[in-house]
Amino acid sequence: MAAALSVSPNRMELIKLKQRTALAQKGHDLLKDKMDALVMELFDTLRRIQESRAKAMEQLRKSYSALSNCMAVLGTVETMQAARQTRKEVQIEVSTRNIMGIQVPTVEIGETERNALTRGYSLHLTSSSLDIAAKELERALRLLIGLAELEETAFAIARELERTKRRVNALEYILIPRLKDAMRFIMMRLDEMERENFTRLKRIKAILEERR
Amino acid sequence: MGLRIAVVGDRDTVTGFALAGVTYSHIHRAKEETLAKLEEFLASSEIGLILITHRTADDLGPELNQMLQDKKLLPLVLRIPDKTGYAPKADELREIIRRTVGAEIIIKREGE
Amino acid sequence: MKVERIVKFELGRLNAHIPERRITLKLALSSAKPVVFTKDGSVHHFKRDELKLLSKLLPEGEWDSLQLPIFISLEPKLGRGAARIRGEAEVKVICKILEKERKESELIIYRPEVAVIRRKLPTTTQYMFIW
Repeated sequence: MAAALSVSPNRMELIKLKQRTALAQKGHDLLKDKMDALVMELFDTLRRIQESRAKAMEQLRKSYSALSNCMAVLGTVETMQAARQTRKEVQIEVSTRNIMGIQVPTVEIGETERNALTRGYSLHLTSSSLDIAAKELERALRLLIGLAELEETAFAIARELERTKRRVNALEYILIPRLKDAMRFIMMRLDEMERENFTRLKRIKAILEERR
Repeated sequence: MGLRIAVVGDRDTVTGFALAGVTYSHIHRAKEETLAKLEEFLASSEIGLILITHRTADDLGPELNQMLQDKKLLPLVLRIPDKTGYAPKADELREIIRRTVGAEIIIKREGE
Repeated sequence: MKVERIVKFELGRLNAHIPERRITLKLALSSAKPVVFTKDGSVHHFKRDELKLLSKLLPEGEWDSLQLPIFISLEPKLGRGAARIRGEAEVKVICKILEKERKESELIIYRPEVAVIRRKLPTTTQYMFIW
């Protein structure tokens, strides 16, 4: 096992190893704290996603239903025509915030809801079913934007969590055990050498005594 | 920095979101064509969010997943159901969570 | 050893997200786009609704003593799951959120409390690692 780290068995090496082990241990503890914090952030984000998804999907369902209705009442071609005429200027402000070194998006949405007069399609060629569909879809869009922000955040956190976990495991299962083994090896050898020395001294002493 | 939204999917989904004010759109017909359009959208500095239907995403297969893995923070990408409500069983998010946190959840429950 | 190089790199970047200079609540409230800049060059935005919440928790006279972001300091020597908050105004605000009574300039909080704080103030608090 000591072959994993090649070290010469002397006190200097032992001291260096002790320092390296202390550093590795410290790194391990810090990264473990980071991992805990990331897990917490991830769970919190997932909880928010659950709520957000439920609302968004429900609204989306309503929207598609209203859209189908509109196409039935007004006609598919006419609906598509109205869609072409609608102003398509919804804007979002996406900036970043930082969670422990990861960039995650933070989104501010402007106004998404408009009314029949401001959307852009002509009123007398359309029906109220169109206005209803458009309104539901505008609401859905707002909820989906919020959901996108949360999902991307969750992905980013999960990726970083994976990386951090790998580092923690590499330290816990590879590096620190190797360092500890190397230290044990050196201490064993140092003990051995001391014993050999001691035995040698005893022999020399015995020889000297005999000579007298 | 005001960014726009793009939608990729079937004709009705695209129509619906155009009505809602989404600026860019692409109706999915052929895989290669849609992948190319998506690359364009992903590279655009004007687009902040791309909505893409699950059906389209499924059609585009692993190439899409690769593009999403390689992309920068922006634009954001969200998969949505179309009017049929179809959503695949494999939830990207749940998969990643299970991979990274699966064991953690069990440990936490026992310890706390 | 390759692992050690990786670890040194990770430790080096543990606090890279910390802003070079913090801003006071007063300054943040009066800016159109309240941000701070991190050591690694990226921008961190504060959400307006969090600033509003903070302004309600502190009397106006103390708005320029609260530094943002509030640091939630993780120090392994405190034990796993514990964190430290420093600063009188910071402690005051955290205590109000956690419904605690404390008048010191330092406070130790535990994991479930950290979770509450992070949920209420995701952009105006940041983790900081100390070793």
